[in-house]
Amino acid sequence: MKRKLVLGVLLAVSVFVLGSVAFAHTPLCYCYLNGDGTITCEGGFSDGSSASGVEMAVKDTNDKVLVEGKMDELSEFTFEKPEVPFIVIFNAGPGHVVEIKGEDIKE
Amino acid sequence: MGRAFVSGLGGMITLDEMKPGEHGVIHKNRARGVIGQRLMDLGFFPGVEVFVIRNAPLVDPVEIKVDGHHVTIRHDEARFVEVEK
Amino acid sequence: MGHKKMHVALAGQPNSGKSTIFNMLTGGRQFVANYPGATVSIKTGAFSWQEKKISLTDLPGTYSLSSYSEEERITRDFIIDQSPSLVVNVMDASNLKRHLYLTFQLLELGAPLLIALNMVDVAEKRGLKVDADALSKNLHLPVITTVGSKGRGKNELKDGVIKAFDSNLDHEHLHIVDYGDLESYITDLSAKLLQSQIEESKVPLRWLSIKLFEEDEVAQKLVSSNFKNPEDVRNYVSKICSEFERKYDDTPRGFIAFRRHLAAQKIEKRCVVKTKEVSVTLTDRIDRLVCSRIWGPLILAGIIYLLYELSIVGGYELTNYMVPLLEGFRNAIEKFLPIGTFLREPLIRSLVLNVITSINSVLIYIPIFLILFALIAILEDVGYMPRMAFILDKLFRRFGLHGQSTLPLILGGVFVGGCAVPGVMATRVIADEKARLATILIVPLMNCLAKVPLYTLLISIYFAKEKALAMFFISTITIILALSVAKILTLTLLKNRPSSPFVLEMPPYHIPTIRGVLMRSIERTWLFVRKVLTIIMIVAVAVFFLTNYPSVGEERINTYQKRAEQIKNVFTSKIQNTPFASQFKRDKDITRYLVIEERYKNQKRALFKASDERREKFEQRFAERYSDVYPLLNAKGKDGRALNKAFKVMKRERALLLMDLRDETLHGSFLGMAGKFLEPVTRFAGFNWKVNVALLSSLAAKESSVATLGVLYQQKEDGQTLAQRMKEQEKGFTPLHALALMIFMAMYPPCIATLIMVKIEAGGWKWAFIALGYPILLGMTLATLVYSGGTWLGLSGTQGMFVFYAIALVTAFLLGKVKGSVVETDIDEKTLKGKEVANL
Repeated sequence: MKRKLVLGVLLAVSVFVLGSVAFAHTPLCYCYLNGDGTITCEGGFSDGSSASGVEMAVKDTNDKVLVEGKMDELSEFTFEKPEVPFIVIFNAGPGHVVEIKGEDIKE
Repeated sequence: MGRAFVSGLGGMITLDEMKPGEHGVIHKNRARGVIGQRLMDLGFFPGVEVFVIRNAPLVDPVEIKVDGHHVTIRHDEARFVEVEK
Repeated sequence: MGHKKMHVALAGQPNSGKSTIFNMLTGGRQFVANYPGATVSIKTGAFSWQEKKISLTDLPGTYSLSSYSEEERITRDFIIDQSPSLVVNVMDASNLKRHLYLTFQLLELGAPLLIALNMVDVAEKRGLKVDADALSKNLHLPVITTVGSKGRGKNELKDGVIKAFDSNLDHEHLHIVDYGDLESYITDLSAKLLQSQIEESKVPLRWLSIKLFEEDEVAQKLVSSNFKNPEDVRNYVSKICSEFERKYDDTPRGFIAFRRHLAAQKIEKRCVVKTKEVSVTLTDRIDRLVCSRIWGPLILAGIIYLLYELSIVGGYELTNYMVPLLEGFRNAIEKFLPIGTFLREPLIRSLVLNVITSINSVLIYIPIFLILFALIAILEDVGYMPRMAFILDKLFRRFGLHGQSTLPLILGGVFVGGCAVPGVMATRVIADEKARLATILIVPLMNCLAKVPLYTLLISIYFAKEKALAMFFISTITIILALSVAKILTLTLLKNRPSSPFVLEMPPYHIPTIRGVLMRSIERTWLFVRKVLTIIMIVAVAVFFLTNYPSVGEERINTYQKRAEQIKNVFTSKIQNTPFASQFKRDKDITRYLVIEERYKNQKRALFKASDERREKFEQRFAERYSDVYPLLNAKGKDGRALNKAFKVMKRERALLLMDLRDETLHGSFLGMAGKFLEPVTRFAGFNWKVNVALLSSLAAKESSVATLGVLYQQKEDGQTLAQRMKEQEKGFTPLHALALMIFMAMYPPCIATLIMVKIEAGGWKWAFIALGYPILLGMTLATLVYSGGTWLGLSGTQGMFVFYAIALVTAFLLGKVKGSVVETDIDEKTLKGKEVANL
């Protein structure tokens, strides 16, 4: 029992030591036209972290919110392409925001 | 064996008691050890002119002009320097 | 002697412009290293002149050559042990008297000296004209006038160096300073030492005698080890010292320093002419504002804000340009890795991609650091740092810190996201060892940039109604906690570290050189990349194995295989009526297409901002290389759409399948076991084993979807949604949980890069481990207090926030009131005006 304890603690500590490369978190977001009238945006961070749960918003040129939601468990967010000019906002907190103009979204 | 020291005689005070705008000439540096060394390194010697420029926004430390050059020291350290006004 | 390589050292007081002279001579070719066992770094470089190769070492700036500080000891040791062919003493022409104080000591040490009279332009502006010839005559040394910042005097200095070397100067018998009444004793002692030396002394005996009278510790040790009858010597010295003190009411040490001062004064009178009376300089005028009661702090706040805006925010913008580059790098390697099967990736593929991601995560910081370090270099060169310390010292001192701790804490992230790495690097300037170590240990507690997304997520879910308040809470709680921790550290762990005096020079402001700033910035960034990259790569590999082994068992794999087959069958059935069906006859065709499609997307994405021409070329080349599947990638028409839709569904299903497999692997891996193992303890902080694994993995195995963000947002097993779960307080995560988690994350131990920096700056792995260990304990304790305490008291998340904040503030305030440890100094008790001695 004692050996297991020691091993366990050692393990936990070593994992903590070995962990922590949580580092440069540049947010990434790319959007594509799906060809069926919807758009899918894929999100992530430059260090490989998942972006699931991050808030997404689609706004028109008057800053009115057209669609709202969050990145799903695959870090994807799909929505219907709005008729009007729009921008997509990936918002993971201050300093971690990506904005994509609707007109830049292609196949 | 200590000297009886009467304050006010000859206008002798310690540096930390001086107020911004006051002048003086250093009489003696009483600090020893590393503080004494530092004070000497930055020019605190007998016969040198000092001028208190200002206190920090939080009162401590104090900016002093020693022999024409600007230095900042804490009041705790300034009290070792005897000055003749 | 003439044809050997010349070793030249640069010595001088701080703010003498020594570094600029160094850069001027070496032209930027330099190499920074840490003196073994020290936290002070030494710069070495080289230059060629008149067909000779000269190596140049930049010694640390010191005011004197006592043995109190590491810088001084290193300078002394270097001159004694390395016996440089020449020492160039860089002096500030506008402060000759004080700089001569060091010159005399260098001469006494026996260093072959050449004077570089620097900053003559500044001296002139202040109305001081220095006669270099007179100085040379008075010192019996060659003197070269220079203006380092403008490159003036470069060739003359190089000539002077060669000339001095060739002429083989000997200064040991040059006694410039007359020690008056002490002279006879010095001579006597030197004679004594000559007689009792065991072997020929490396140091001049006169110097040693003088140092012994100065009660220099290192000199005393030297005598004990290298001389016969050290007791004799010691007794002699103490006898003379006490006699002297009685007679002159001053220690020999003070007397010696004073004589140097007088000698310097005499020489200054002879060589310096005051051409105009400058009563109020520009520096004075600026300081009136910068150091004032109201404007001072405001300006400081403004500068902090600017620092952030430009480096963190601005640098962040620049990272957007780094991303395509780094992705390009990844894509380039990816092409060569084997493909694997629908369900499993070959080991080498996973491993390599994992390592590349880690490397990229370090490289991406380069723009931020370049800007940040440049800005700091500017602040340093301008001379603002002592002013910063001046303003905040009183506040920081209460907590065992130092006025100079300001910058490191700012960089670590006060209020907004910062980075602990440059923060720790910036602690280098703090002379006071106790305060420096305390600062190093608390910088990681500040608001690191990488923690921001987590706070945001938690706040958006659990404190949605009080977002701003919660954000304010978490941003400000860190500095409050950090100050308290610093105080506790200085009272306990660091109690016996020596304290240094605060006495700081406030140099005149001056305009930095672009070259100096750029070079320092590049130098520091490169140092960071070099040190961190290797370790991170090793860590990535280790982490990879911890999170993938032991792997999922045979039986479970079969279940996954079955699901995989299903997904594939759905796909093939959907496209069987299209002309594309023939392309997917074999199993591996599907896998291959998946990989190629991903490759296509990634490479296309990296060219997002490229010219149309480049994009076309890319399409062409891709079409050529993958001619069989290229037509599928952009297939149009009814069939094309069918293919596309079916493919997208399959891709998504596969992704979900792989995610499940990864999750299961993670839970069964060593990492998962660690998480479960810790649960009995972490339970009191509200962390169940899943959260533990998420915490560990969010930092260790970032690719895992069981990253903290994911696990908190969705737990698919119950089939419940977030909202439903929130209603059932027992099972789910409550705001109080979130609060505990946020506090734990705030305290969370620093990332590897920071730990490496801690080791470098604090001088040992022991400190890195402390910096790693105590936040874990602290974080767990606080989180436990918050969760268990809050639950017991029946507090809601928001209430818990307020209560915790209040407690933290009060604690910090009280700790600030506690008096620090006694100042170590000998005080001349007799004559101090009846004041309380040694009781602060």
